Amino acid sequence: MVSDIDLSVTIGKLELPYPTLMASGCYGSGEEFEPFADLSQIGAVVLKSVTRAPRLGNPMPRLVATPAGMLNAIGLQNPGIDWYLENEVAKFAKRPCAMIGSVAAFSVDDYAYVTERLAARDEIAAIELNISCPNVGSEGETFACDPDLTGRVVRAVRAVTDKTLIVKLSPNVTDIAAIAAEAESAGADALAVINTLRGMSIDVHAWKPRLGNVSGGLSGPAIRPVAVLAVYEAARAVSIPIVGQGGIENATDALEFFLAGASAIAIGTANFTDPRIPIRIVDELRAYLAARGLRSLRDIVGKANVGFGSPFQYEGDVG
Amino acid sequence: MLAGPSVRDVVVLDRTELAPGVVLLGFYAPELVAVTRPGQFVMAIPPGGERAATALAIYEAQGERASLLFFVCGARTRELAELRPGDTLSLTGPLGNGFTFAGARDVAIVAGGVGIASVLLPAQMLVEQGARVRLFYGARNVDFLVDRERFATAGCELCCATDDGSLGHRGFITELLAKAEDKPDLVLACGPSPMLRATAFVASELGVPAQLALEESFACGVGGCWGCVVPLDRASAQAPKFPKPAGEDGFVYARVCKEGPVFWAHELRW
Ligand SMILES: Cc1cc2nc3c(=O)[nH]c(=O)nc-3n(C[C@H](O)[C@H](O)[C@H](O)COP(=O)(O)OP(=O)(O)OC[C@H]3O[C@@H](n4cnc5c(N)ncnc54)[C@H](O)[C@@H]3O)c2cc1C
Ligand SMILES: Cc1cc2nc3c(=O)[nH]c(=O)nc-3n(C[C@H](O)[C@H](O)[C@H](O)COP(=O)(O)O)c2cc1C
Ligand code: FES
Repeated sequence: MVSDIDLSVTIGKLELPYPTLMASGCYGSGEEFEPFADLSQIGAVVLKSVTRAPRLGNPMPRLVATPAGMLNAIGLQNPGIDWYLENEVAKFAKRPCAMIGSVAAFSVDDYAYVTERLAARDEIAAIELNISCPNVGSEGETFACDPDLTGRVVRAVRAVTDKTLIVKLSPNVTDIAAIAAEAESAGADALAVINTLRGMSIDVHAWKPRLGNVSGGLSGPAIRPVAVLAVYEAARAVSIPIVGQGGIENATDALEFFLAGASAIAIGTANFTDPRIPIRIVDELRAYLAARGLRSLRDIVGKANVGFGSPFQYEGDVG
Repeated sequence: MLAGPSVRDVVVLDRTELAPGVVLLGFYAPELVAVTRPGQFVMAIPPGGERAATALAIYEAQGERASLLFFVCGARTRELAELRPGDTLSLTGPLGNGFTFAGARDVAIVAGGVGIASVLLPAQMLVEQGARVRLFYGARNVDFLVDRERFATAGCELCCATDDGSLGHRGFITELLAKAEDKPDLVLACGPSPMLRATAFVASELGVPAQLALEESFACGVGGCWGCVVPLDRASAQAPKFPKPAGEDGFVYARVCKEGPVFWAHELRW
């Protein structure tokens, strides 16, 4: 029976009925999409990243369509943690799915400060750390690009909350496995893999960058193969769950991530194509598993990953 | 339950090419028609299933039929132009805040090119309210002044301008607005951004309030990504209520898809 199929996932202390998370910055606070998608049929919404102080955001244009994807440079426009706690967070209680807070900062202290205050709220089920920000304390080096900085942030944040901590890794690194391992040993409960790739697009008529911020983050199907490999490599390096993301548009794409070692997935840019995609993916995943006589999504996690043994071995469609 | 925006599959009823690359696509959507306000838009999902949805104004909305009027300028509009009667089109909407014109008696509507798609509904409603409506309509040449008879039939007075002089004034449509005989009490405009800026300038010279329907590029179209912003005066009733960040000098970035797409010209800080 298709309806008996178990799609639930465990991420740290978080139990989610579906493996589908809505990626940070792509789904507002869920409310914006409520008329178009039944939020009770998605796993969780990862909220837009919030910082200590309010941020104006980047100048326009902030979006550019590119082949098989898009560049964005929003610049973390957000009202800051004080206003957020006072005016936004209470509304999250009404949503029929888990709400995961996303924290961004420009110093180790601010990561800990914002996390401690946000995680203290019951409406927030877990915290995702967006560490793809420059560290103003060390010549602007990105936290996610340096194992030592990653470790320091994660340890500082781990010390201030017991809630599930998901650390979101950047693909703009030479060795993602080393950073994944460092995040795990510093106390992360899970990893989100990957954030956007850095990119740029130039208007050849105007001789100007197309983004107001010059550079931006590439997302969508264009980055999927990069993301699948990053998940595969991170999964071999850690034993905590991974939330795979990057260009997922349908169940086939999602299955690549599960087979590479992701326990759950996040969907970002595909919501801009059709807001029905996350729920369609859940239906298609059930059908895929049912057609192979499998009862649980957990049976396939990491099956394409030679580094992962499991008592249950499904040999693939031809085997 | 109060009907609001939703995502739906609709059946294409008719398709007409009004000028080279300018397509009018009618479809069956009584629920959409019932809740559409003038100046609202839909996110139309390109039928190939691989590209992001694109924002298009709701052109006609009457009875059981609504339509889109668009210019084929890239991959997504090309896919939408492939649709034929009987095909299914998926769309999300209606979205955004439309024009507001209650009480207006003499309205100048300025439209450039396919900007015309945003202004039929307000024009019709204004005529119904008993207002005088002048349509200042500009395009490259006479062929691209599409569907202008419909506006005349609806009761609008037409003033046209073309780049090549093939119909009406040769030059910019805003030059006609600047020279208009009696001053309107409200200006509504939709078109390319240089035309909107010129309209804002002319309207402020005339001392007439103007509402502009902007066409920033969108991603989500529903307010979820903060990608489609425009700088807006903090004091605007439409401004998102945000605490003041460091370095901010009285403006805040507002989402064109959510707070707009229609803004008061004097409140934009672009
Ligand atoms: C609220 C709103 C309502 C709109 N209503 C209509 C409408 O009713 N009819 C219509 O034809 N278009 C309308 N547009 C513009 C429409 O969304 C774009 O033309 C569309 O995104 C083109 O998609 P594409 O993939 O075919 O082209 P793209 O590949 O996105 O663009 C192709 C080329 O067109 C240029 N371009 C893209 N968007 C615009 C724009 N807004 N203005 C000027 N140049 C642009 C690009 O720079 C590029 O050179 C509207 C936009 C908004 C935000
Ligand atoms: C418009 C936009 C805004 C984003 N904002 C954030 C953000 O605030 N914080 C964050 O951690 N990731 C952000 N991301 C990255 C996404 O969460 C996601 O990791 C990435 O886009 C890859 O997934 P996708 O290809 O499915 O979109 C953003 C992505 C987009 C497209
Ligand atoms: S397009 Fe996403 S907020 Fe407007």
